Parts: sequence; structure tokens; C-alpha cells
Amino acid sequence: MRLIATRLVRQLVLVPVVAVASYFLMAALPLTTESDTKRQVSPELAASYRRDLGIGEPLGFLRPWQKLFAGERLGTSAQGITGDELLQKLSGSVGVGLVALPLALAWAVGFALLRTRWRRGRFAVFGDVLPAIAFGTPVFIPALLLAPAVVERGHLLPELCAAVVIAIWPGTFLGTLVGDALETELSRDYVRTALSKGLDPGTVLRRHVLPNVWPALLDAVTPVATALLAGSFAAERVFGLPYFGQLYVLAVLNKQVAVVVVSTTTFATVLVVVSLTVELLRMLADPRAREARA
Amino acid sequence: MNRVPVRAWVGLVLMVGLGGLSLVAGRLFPETLSNTCPLGWDLNRPDRSVCELAFGGLWVSLAVGLAAGALSTVLGLAVAALARLSGGVTEQVLLRAVDAVFALPDVLVVMVLQLAGQSLLDAGMTRGLGPFGLMVTSLALVGWAGPARMFRDRLATLEGQEYVAAARALGGGGVHVLRVHLWPMLRPFVLAVFLSRLPNAILTESTVSFFGIARMEPMSLGRYLGTSYAALIYEGGGRVVIPAWGLLVLLVLGASLASQALGGGRRREV
Repeated sequence: MRLIATRLVRQLVLVPVVAVASYFLMAALPLTTESDTKRQVSPELAASYRRDLGIGEPLGFLRPWQKLFAGERLGTSAQGITGDELLQKLSGSVGVGLVALPLALAWAVGFALLRTRWRRGRFAVFGDVLPAIAFGTPVFIPALLLAPAVVERGHLLPELCAAVVIAIWPGTFLGTLVGDALETELSRDYVRTALSKGLDPGTVLRRHVLPNVWPALLDAVTPVATALLAGSFAAERVFGLPYFGQLYVLAVLNKQVAVVVVSTTTFATVLVVVSLTVELLRMLADPRAREARA
Repeated sequence: MNRVPVRAWVGLVLMVGLGGLSLVAGRLFPETLSNTCPLGWDLNRPDRSVCELAFGGLWVSLAVGLAAGALSTVLGLAVAALARLSGGVTEQVLLRAVDAVFALPDVLVVMVLQLAGQSLLDAGMTRGLGPFGLMVTSLALVGWAGPARMFRDRLATLEGQEYVAAARALGGGGVHVLRVHLWPMLRPFVLAVFLSRLPNAILTESTVSFFGIARMEPMSLGRYLGTSYAALIYEGGGRVVIPAWGLLVLLVLGASLASQALGGGRRREV
């Protein structure tokens, strides 16, 4: 329990650090200059940005949060948001990510098992080629290839397509990790002993090998969850989903600095929650992890 | 004598060959590339052929990846060396900072850094750093944490060996041990880590360019894809997008093969 608390404190420190760092980075932006030719925003708009960020006010870095919790609109144009809208958009992106996670896990376990089966056969080359293609393909490419069917013809559900698209790379990444762990476990003595005692390979895999592979899978889930949420940015953009990723990209493109500050911190908070959840799962699933930390 | 694995050679030849060919064709003989392109003209830019744009963007993506990969590897190595040399509380603080940066998604942070960098660029405050330099700096600023963690762990493992203990017992200082005894053992690993950063940097740059946030000039593969994807809604529009995608896959495949082979089967990090 103490270890979980330590981990919680360590992770939670990240949130105010991100909030303060992103605030001061945004506050330092030269949103207007003396020269008219290089002016990016009008003086009125620059003053509005400054009010939005609370620049020059005592404890100004708390201003975006005060506005958010008071239900005021953040931002200086139609792209601005209230706290409720932000939560709604975030829940949309997290929902897509939550659909994508089991898809990625299923693909990872399936790919790992296939790769183990292909290991010495004529299909062994696929074990290398498939990850190479997945690793070399940015999320927006499969999304673009699906886009005509989804956006133009309305044949498929955009959220489901986004989840499928963003699950490909993390699934393959997890699959290679699990495949490597599976190969290591299958070469151990206890597997040979179990097989020589007459257990069928499926039972050996299910009852003896897979429980030893789960920790490797769980170790990689946090970075994979990060990749899923970040990948949803590109998929939302292509499929026109009005969720958190779309909001974030538009906020950056339109220099909605207060929205960027709040969104970046919100995203960091989500990642902390994911990381802690995985840590808890890891301790529940792996007795060795509990013993090592006791 | 250690032999370089065949997979590493295949990867390196693929990467260097594609980059070199793209640089020569895109910069030295662009007319040949545009006149002989079997894929026709780009729909959004009727004066440029698909080959010219896709092949021309390849060396830009590769150059960004190489520069950002090198910079983030050097930064990571410096942080790891500092952590090991300092030890104690300083090492723990540095490791927590590494964990914090590593936990943030690359694409999101690069978008914020690009926003900041471009505002400075527009205000003429970047002191000669153009879009290329901005992109390389942004990618390096988010990409150093992974290498730092790996180098620190590797250094800790290497330091546990008897010859290092003997060197210390004979009065060797931290910097001396690092430079004379650890660096030769660390060198191949540094190369593998550098190559593993390459695909990551290329894909992050592509994604940020695709969002229209980065302003890479000349156009990288990612920016080309990001500005041409609308072609897919037209019949036969795949001829515009698929070649650039194919080149991107080949480039990342080359870097991944070389990195995995040199790093003893390590996989690309997320």
C-alpha cells in the first residue's frame, strides 16, 4: 500500500509540473510584435489572450483554471470551451481509446501466438515483415485509406474505425513483446516437464505459460495507452470526430493558448490515472511484483 | 571479432540508398524525376509530379530523423552520464525527470513546442533557426528521455563488472572510468539507440506535419501526405498517397532493421 502511495505521489507531481511548464511556455509566446509586417494577431486579440491567461495578474497562472471551474469559456473565439465541453470531448476520446485497447490486446495476443507458430516454418518472414509495416505506418495513413468509406459514403461507424486504426500499431508492438516473452517461456524446463508428463500443448500454454507472460504484457500497457490516446488525435482529425484530439489540434492551430494549457494538463492527468491503474493491475496479476515490493 | 549482422546491413543500405537516391534525384535532377514519373501529376499542385514530391520529400524526412535522433541520443547520453557520475539524490531526481518526460506523448508535446517555436520564428526571435531547426529541436527535446533511461541502465550494468571495480580500486575517477573503460563497451549500444530514435522522429514529424502545424520547407513526406490526403476521395487518388506512404514505410523499415540487428533484437519504443 505504501508503495502504491509513493507511486501515486511521484506520478501526481507530474500534473502541476506540466500545468506550470505549459502555462509559462504559452505566456512567454510573442503573440504580437512592434512590426506590422510580422504581426500575428491584432493588439486587441493579444490583449484578449493576455486576459485569458491572466498575464500580469497576481497568481496569474491560476487564471485559466479559475475560469474553467467558474464555468466561463476559455479561449478567444468559437474554438474556446467550457469545463463541461472539455469533459465531454475528453470522454469521447477516452471512449475511442477504451474500444481500441481490447482490440490492441486481442491483436497482440493473436499475433504473438501466430508468430510463435510461424517461428520455424515458411511463414517466419511474416513475423518480421508485419511489425515492420506497422511500425513504418503513421496512424493517419490507414485512417486516410478508410476515410472515403467512412466520411464520404457513411458506410462505417467513424468511432469504431478510429479505434481499429489506432489499435494496429500498439497491438503489433505489444504482440512483438509478448511473442518474445512467449518464446523465452516456451524454452524453459517447466514447459518440457509439463509436456513430457502428457499435458496437451494448449493446456500447457493456458495454465502454465500465459500466466508468466501477462506481466510483460502489463508492463507495456502504459506506453501503449499513451500511444492509443495520441493516435486518436490523428484518427479524429481524419474522420472528423469532434473530440479531445480535434479540440487540441484546433487550439494549437488557432493559438488558443489557455485551451492548450488546460488540455495539456488534462491529458497528463489522464495518463497518470492510466499509469496508476496499470500499476494496480500489475500488482494484482503478478504475485512476484507484490513480493518484490513488500 | 564482432561481425555486423546481415539484417543491419540490409537496413543501413536501404536507408542510405533511399536517402542518397532521393537527394540526388530530388535536388540534382528534379526535371528527370518529373518528366519520367509514371504516377502523373499531383492533383493539388498541377505543376509538380507525384514522384517529384514524394521522392523529393524523402531526404527531408530522413535528414530530420537523423539530426533529431543524433541530438536526442547525445542529450540522453549526457543526462545518463551525469546521473551516474553524480549518484545519490541527484541521480534519483534526474531519473524522476526522465520518467516525467517519457510519460508525455511525443506528438502532443511536439505540437506545443512547434506552436511556441513558430511564434518566435514569426516574431524574428529564433536567431537563424528555421523550420528545419525548430523541428529537430522539438523532436530532440521530447526524444531524449528514452535514450537517457536506456543509457543509465546500461551504464549501471557495465559498472557492476569486475574490471570497472578494479579500475576504481586503482584510483580511477568517475570521468576516467566512463571515458576509458565504459565508453568502448557502450559505443555499439549508442549506435543502436540512435538508429531506434530515427523511425520515431520521422513518424512524429510526419504526424505533426500532417496536422498542418509544422511548416517544413522543402516539404517532408509527412507534410506532403498531410496536404495531399484529400486526393483519396477522388477515383484513383491512391496513386498520390500510396507512393509517399511506401517510401515512409521503407525508410522506417531500414532504420528499424538496422537498430534491431545492432541492438540484439530490441524493438522500437513507443
